[in-house]
Amino acid sequence: MKKTILGELEELVLLVVAASTDDVYGVPVMEQLQLQTGRSFTISAVHTTLYRLEEKGFLSSSVGGATAERGGRSKRLFVLTAEGGRVLVDIQQMRTRLWQSIPQSKLQLLGL
Amino acid sequence: MTRKHLSPQQPPRWADWILEWFVAPHLLEYVQGDLHEAFYKQVAQVGLVRARRDYVWAVLHCLTPFFARRQKNDVRKAKLNPSHYNAYSKPFFMDMLSNYLTIAFRNLWRHKAFTAINSIGLAVGLATCLLIALFVLHELSYDRYHSHAERLYRMTLHTRLGEKDINYAYSAEPAGPALLRDYLGVEAITRLRDDGDFLVKNGEETFKEGHVAFVDSNFFSIFSIPLIKGHRASVLVDPKTLVLTQTTARKYFGQADPIGKTLSVGNLGVFRVTGVCADIPSNTHFHYDLFGSFPSVNQGVKWLASGAYTYVLLRDGYSIQQVEAQSQGFLRKYMASEIKEFLGIDLPEFLQKGNRLGFGFQPVTTIHLYSDLDDELEANGDIKYVYIFTVIALFILLLACINFMNLSTVGSAGRAKEVGVRKVMGSVKSQLVSQFLTESVLLTLLALLLALGLVFLVLPGFNALAGKQFTLGEIANGWLLSGAVVTCLVIGLLAGSYPAFVLSSFKPITVLNGKSEAGLRSGWLRNALVTGQFTVSIGILIATIVANQQLRFMQDKKVGFDKEQVLVLHDTHVLGSKLNAFKAELARMSSVVKISLAGFLPAGTSKQSQDGILIKDGSKTAAYTTKSYFVDEDYLSTLGMQLAQGRNFSEAFPADNSSVLLNEAAVRAYGFKTPIGQQISITGDGSEASKHTYTVIGVVKDFHFESMRHRIAPLIMFYGGDNSQLALRIRTDNVSRLLTTIEQRWKAETGDPFAYSFLNERFNTLYQSEQRIGQLFGVFAGLAVLISCLGLLGLAAFTTHQRTKEIGVRKVLGASVTGIVKLLLTNYLKLILIAMVIASPIAGYIMNQWLGDFAYRIDISWWIFVLAGGLATTVAILTVSYQAIKAALMNPVKSLRTE
Repeated sequence: MKKTILGELEELVLLVVAASTDDVYGVPVMEQLQLQTGRSFTISAVHTTLYRLEEKGFLSSSVGGATAERGGRSKRLFVLTAEGGRVLVDIQQMRTRLWQSIPQSKLQLLGL
Repeated sequence: MTRKHLSPQQPPRWADWILEWFVAPHLLEYVQGDLHEAFYKQVAQVGLVRARRDYVWAVLHCLTPFFARRQKNDVRKAKLNPSHYNAYSKPFFMDMLSNYLTIAFRNLWRHKAFTAINSIGLAVGLATCLLIALFVLHELSYDRYHSHAERLYRMTLHTRLGEKDINYAYSAEPAGPALLRDYLGVEAITRLRDDGDFLVKNGEETFKEGHVAFVDSNFFSIFSIPLIKGHRASVLVDPKTLVLTQTTARKYFGQADPIGKTLSVGNLGVFRVTGVCADIPSNTHFHYDLFGSFPSVNQGVKWLASGAYTYVLLRDGYSIQQVEAQSQGFLRKYMASEIKEFLGIDLPEFLQKGNRLGFGFQPVTTIHLYSDLDDELEANGDIKYVYIFTVIALFILLLACINFMNLSTVGSAGRAKEVGVRKVMGSVKSQLVSQFLTESVLLTLLALLLALGLVFLVLPGFNALAGKQFTLGEIANGWLLSGAVVTCLVIGLLAGSYPAFVLSSFKPITVLNGKSEAGLRSGWLRNALVTGQFTVSIGILIATIVANQQLRFMQDKKVGFDKEQVLVLHDTHVLGSKLNAFKAELARMSSVVKISLAGFLPAGTSKQSQDGILIKDGSKTAAYTTKSYFVDEDYLSTLGMQLAQGRNFSEAFPADNSSVLLNEAAVRAYGFKTPIGQQISITGDGSEASKHTYTVIGVVKDFHFESMRHRIAPLIMFYGGDNSQLALRIRTDNVSRLLTTIEQRWKAETGDPFAYSFLNERFNTLYQSEQRIGQLFGVFAGLAVLISCLGLLGLAAFTTHQRTKEIGVRKVLGASVTGIVKLLLTNYLKLILIAMVIASPIAGYIMNQWLGDFAYRIDISWWIFVLAGGLATTVAILTVSYQAIKAALMNPVKSLRTE
């Protein structure tokens, strides 16, 4: 499963898309990312990532409604595909496994 | 894509344009929509200005390949909805570029010979220009790196004594401190004294150091030469302290810390090292390895009889003119009494006689290129050569460009049909223009790569020729390379523009009927360009021949003495009391014909002290400046100089200590009718006590002791008093054995390094700069002719090819091979003849100006022009005739079948 290798930003974006209950397109993804991570992201980085995820088959897109504040331009709306969901679960599980493999004593030593 | 939402608070329109131009259609709508949405939110949150700035920033972030990449189905979509996707009617450069490049590569590859000729010609031109640009930029950069460069001046001394102007690069030693004392605008001064060579001892090892300076302690603050070790404020304050350059420090002390270590310097005693400075940058007007402190040497207090190179740092906001105006005040304040003491006359009387004395100031940044005074610290460059080289570089580039344009035009002429076909298939003009421009730009960039390779290959040779140490890094570092790239792009666009715009405007129907080439064949422009090329080539050829003629003239002209077979031993003063025995021993050797002890030899860097000479002729007194030599009785015979009148010095005359010999120039200058027996008074340091009277006992025939740039100056010879060099006239049957024997004797007497030279070699160094110019001209002439011929070769190949059918018809009708060759050649010969007529007067005029610099010079004779023209013609004929003969020998059956 080569394609399950996701970059950090890709993973974050995928999670944002998964978590969102509203329409997902560039602007809200960017805002969510900023809100959740405290870092600033440019729209170009967000777009590049969204399209890359679509190419990998983790997202699918459709053309959505235009609004006045966009100068009448339509949106490209993204939704998580089944495969995208599976990837997220895989990652989650792998992380849990890794966490569980950390000996308790070590965690205590680190004060965690 | 019209905007429906029109609020006064809009994102910058130009940023939108960039976005629309760049971003691929299938992405544009969503990206732009998101950007706008984010923008309006931003406006509400942080205000319009900030939002607009962020918008631009976001747009710039979108300028990545990802957003530019088209999708295959863009084109399909564009067909379905052309008003929305205007990708088809407006070719997007990235996609088309790759197509243009592919086709360009195929075209260039298909016409390999043409590509090679064209790119090699341009590469040679570009390489030459790069090298010259390196040289010129380096020359212009001298002394500009000092942090106060624009406020830094050198004080110079200007005198006029008895008809002769002398301008010195140095000035009186007390002048600097006086200037600092008297004038508010002077922030600081620093002085430098060069007392010649020193033998520097580090315990057991001795080195001869030719680059030793004694400087004021603030030297390293005024000149931005970094001190690596030692403190700026405290180095060189005490007497007998020394700062070494990094390289010199390593030479004496290796890796050890040199601070506090000692070196013995000549007979000045033991010096303590207080600092290490960086090596002096090559673009500085002085290069020293050791800096001693100024108080280490006896300081001159007299204004008229002491000299140091004095540098003045002006305060901000003061002008040098104000200081200059004040320097006349110096004359009255400090020098009037010395003039009285020295010449025995009052200042007003001194000035009344037409004599002059004063200080001048020259910006330090101009020293290297503009200063040509007596006793410069080192041989300077010359702004004239900077101009000449720049012009030559431009000419050579022009030649290469003309070629390039010519060949590009010619090369594309055969492609009229291709243009027709492309147009029929639906190409629009802008696409054809882009195609041709891409091809020629590609070719220029190829040439640039070749040029860089060439520069890499010839850089060592060029360094040797120009006397510089350039590295490839200097080309890659500076904006030289970007300049070259831009130049290439411009050349490419210019050269491609003619075929691009002319060919692309052809109507397909005429082209496909085969009627298009008529327009290209007329070629008066091409003829003019060829003529221009040969004008430049012939001009440079003439310059080369003239420069080399002058050089040979100077080297072959009778110098008035015999400079062959004279061996010079240096630093013989270290032998001290053993010197006379050593001399006698050498004199007994069978290979030594004659031997003379004298520090003064007629070549290069030898000493020639210049003194104020006072001549008392009855009641009249006149002052002159004259060079003086201190020689022994064997001097004239060792060097093969001739006496015109009187007798030589001789041990038989005890009174010869107050006798002198003059050269003929001195006799003329002093106005002696009967020189023998005349009395001459000479003062040493300006005091009455040092005044001596000498009797003239002989006159030496004039000989050239300086470069032939200068007229032979008055010279006076004194008897004895110098022991620094031995001149030996030797038999040359076994020089190496003689040298080994002498060296063994030398080593037996002293532990100091053994140094020697040959007089004729020293003499040749006088003409180093002329030699350099001669060689460079030669190289440039060769290049110019080469480039012109490459162009001619391409043109000839093209025109003969075009006339294949005509030649076939002529042959069938009975024309001979020679007749056809003649036919093909005459046109070019006409052009070269015109070029000769244009080039000769221009080159003649310029070279006459150049020759004006020389006191002894050749005249430009008519055969030089004929030779240059002949050479150019011969090479051109050779170039063209290959093509012509090939065409003429071709079987007419074949040539008639070509169409």
